[in-house]
Amino acid sequence: MKIRYLFYLALLAFIVSCKPEVNEFTPSNGSADFKTYVALGNSLTAGYADGALYKSGQSYSWANILGQQLTTVGGQPFVQPVVTSEFGVLPGKRKLGFSVDCLGVTSLGPVLDNGELDPWSNHIDYTVNNLGVPGAKVAHLLAPGYGNAANLQAGLANPYFVKFAASPDISVVAQAMSMSPTFFSLWIGNNDVLGYATSGGAGDVITPTEQFGQYYNMLAQTLVTGGAKGVLANIPSITNAAFFTTIPSDVIDIPDSPEGQGYLAILNGEHGYAPYNAFMESKGLPYRITFSIGPNQMVIQDPAMASYGLPAQLQIRQMVEGELALLTLPQDSIKCATWGSAVPVPNQYILTQAEIDNINAATIAFNNIIKQTAVDNGLAFVDFNAIMVDISANGLIFDGITFSTKFVTGNLFSLDGIHLTPQGNAVVTNYFIDAINAQYTAQIPKVSVANYPPIVFP
Amino acid sequence: MRLQGNKQNGMGLVGTSLNMGSSSIFYNPGALSLMKDKLHFELGASGIMSNVDFQRAGSNENYQTDNPMSTPFYVYGAGKINDMIAVGVGVYTPYGSTSKWEDDWTGKLLIQNIALKAIFVQPTISFNFNEKFGIGAGFILAMGDVEINKALNYSGDANANLKGSTTSYGFNIGAFYKASEKLAFGVDYRSEIMMKMKDGDATFTVPTALQTTIPKDNKFDAELPLPANLDFSISYQATEQLLLAFELDWVMWGTYKSLDFTFKEQGALLNSTNPREYKDTFIPRIGAQYSLNDQFQLRAGMYYDQSPTNEKYFTPETVSLNTFAYTLGLSYSPIEKLSIDVSFLQLFGQTAEKEYTPSNFKGTYQTIVYIPGIGVSFKF
Repeated sequence: MKIRYLFYLALLAFIVSCKPEVNEFTPSNGSADFKTYVALGNSLTAGYADGALYKSGQSYSWANILGQQLTTVGGQPFVQPVVTSEFGVLPGKRKLGFSVDCLGVTSLGPVLDNGELDPWSNHIDYTVNNLGVPGAKVAHLLAPGYGNAANLQAGLANPYFVKFAASPDISVVAQAMSMSPTFFSLWIGNNDVLGYATSGGAGDVITPTEQFGQYYNMLAQTLVTGGAKGVLANIPSITNAAFFTTIPSDVIDIPDSPEGQGYLAILNGEHGYAPYNAFMESKGLPYRITFSIGPNQMVIQDPAMASYGLPAQLQIRQMVEGELALLTLPQDSIKCATWGSAVPVPNQYILTQAEIDNINAATIAFNNIIKQTAVDNGLAFVDFNAIMVDISANGLIFDGITFSTKFVTGNLFSLDGIHLTPQGNAVVTNYFIDAINAQYTAQIPKVSVANYPPIVFP
Repeated sequence: MRLQGNKQNGMGLVGTSLNMGSSSIFYNPGALSLMKDKLHFELGASGIMSNVDFQRAGSNENYQTDNPMSTPFYVYGAGKINDMIAVGVGVYTPYGSTSKWEDDWTGKLLIQNIALKAIFVQPTISFNFNEKFGIGAGFILAMGDVEINKALNYSGDANANLKGSTTSYGFNIGAFYKASEKLAFGVDYRSEIMMKMKDGDATFTVPTALQTTIPKDNKFDAELPLPANLDFSISYQATEQLLLAFELDWVMWGTYKSLDFTFKEQGALLNSTNPREYKDTFIPRIGAQYSLNDQFQLRAGMYYDQSPTNEKYFTPETVSLNTFAYTLGLSYSPIEKLSIDVSFLQLFGQTAEKEYTPSNFKGTYQTIVYIPGIGVSFKF
């Protein structure tokens, strides 16, 4: 009987002995010091999403996610200038909801989400690590007084920086340096082309390349003065963002019906575009406007045609393949007010090929400067331009989530079509982590994309 | 799992060249007509306690399963009609597993939990040509249930629940040859059983705005193969006390190419093909039994079970790693007609980084499984 008891004892010993435990990854800071991390940048760094900088969206900023991960490799707690309202600092937040269009059709899409704001005048008095300022261009980060409320009227200050500026006349970069950062991220430059792009080339100008280079270098030089290490990121191929790709240029659909045939006759007739076509032909210009049954390219204003000496009312043409309509183009005006067919679409809703070429040329030039700065200073570098081109062409899968540049269904872009969803921010964070780990032989743990929320459906 | 007899469980799950009575219905119907007793009954069960630890690639985040204990069981009864023919019936559960991850774990979009249960009923007939050579065959009626839960990437704990059941058929044939008093050979083939689920219930929990696209109640079809096995086995009575046995089990997982779901409504959106690309595996086993006296028998064994999974298609739904196992067993016969059999197995899934490429889901897995079991057998 003794043997039997021994046997049971052995059994018990085995049962309590072990649970599986995988321990393949040890966080490490490598050759970098992550003690004090500051994030400089624009709306992407700030955590802007769905057309606003609001509480929960801000909490999923990639800078915040990265800041949390850095605490495993010696980072102090990462502090954000917390917006206390779910509706943001300025109005404009969007949510998915149902709306009725001019034809009486109900559909699901982004609708305004209004509520009590946390205005910029509610000043934040604690020290913050996230210095991302929505709307900031490269020059703005160097500008004293960019956070001074007195300068708002003149357009020389930014309400988001006013909200958390440590003193009225400090610049963003000076505020960063006042914290003696050991590590920084700098993702700036998007707005130096994006402002032009989102206004259809009409409301802003692209920063001259020489100026961009000068300011960018000043920024980087300042940030590394204390021996800080850091990561730079370049400007994504912004025309691949859902903001520019959601509305097709051939959105004018003329049905094969008596009404459609009638409308077609008017558009192509003497009271439509026939005189325009005759005039263009007489001038030896290649422009023609013709409509047919099915999808048709929109008629748009193109002020660049002034170069042919055409009067304003003739500076119109049909879009060509590759030109982009912006997400801000009012759909009801297309459906019910003959925009795009009888009425030319105003310039600010369209990127013409010439404008796209300007954007692409500037993006390439700016990105060369950013890359060179990273190389010259031994900084980590993330090529979001290449990443976005790749996602646009091939999509991306993480943890079973399929990402694409498609609006809403693509999981990447939030309801404003430019800024990221929480899951998109998690993806971006992992790219930053890859780049930092590679440059500084660090082991910052990556985040689980599936742990972050998707777009909220009603 | 081959946990279909507590004596065999203790011997590294070797069974095809052993003649342990009515459990031959499962291990080798060919041996049934050569059993020593006129009537033999066995029943028993095991408790599978499995633990999986997962660490995401490039991260120190770990996730564990919370698997409930699964309890395979068996009941056999067999009798000799005459010296040459024996008949019997077995009810057993050779396949059955539950993987339960936390509902919000990092792989939730691949799997939250899966429960597979299958009960086999096998009437069997066995015939021997002489005292040395027997053959046997059984018809298998397999009844299976599958339930799967996985999260969907929509807000508000969106989830798909798939429940299906099926009845399928198969067979089990074997031959047993006792070459001498000491040496025995066995070979056994159990056919593949295809669990075809037709009109299973699919329940989708999605935000209200999406319910017109993804209907709440749907029906689905899917097929899950339970692989064929071809087992070769040799046993050798080394001394009066010591029995040694070796076995090689060929498990024909190669037919498990993909797990496909076809839905009755919104098929274009919901249908999915999920590659598995399993390969056949060969499991070597050794086992030993030592008879201490008329009352006590001790057993031990070990085996190495190679994972049938594909490098590119390793999913967390059934974490199958290369596994080394040792087994222990003990029988106690208080009276001649009765034997109480206990067994204990410990399985070590070898730590390995695995990936399911279609979902870009990668990490390192490790498993440890404990399986205590108890059974009784009666002979007359």
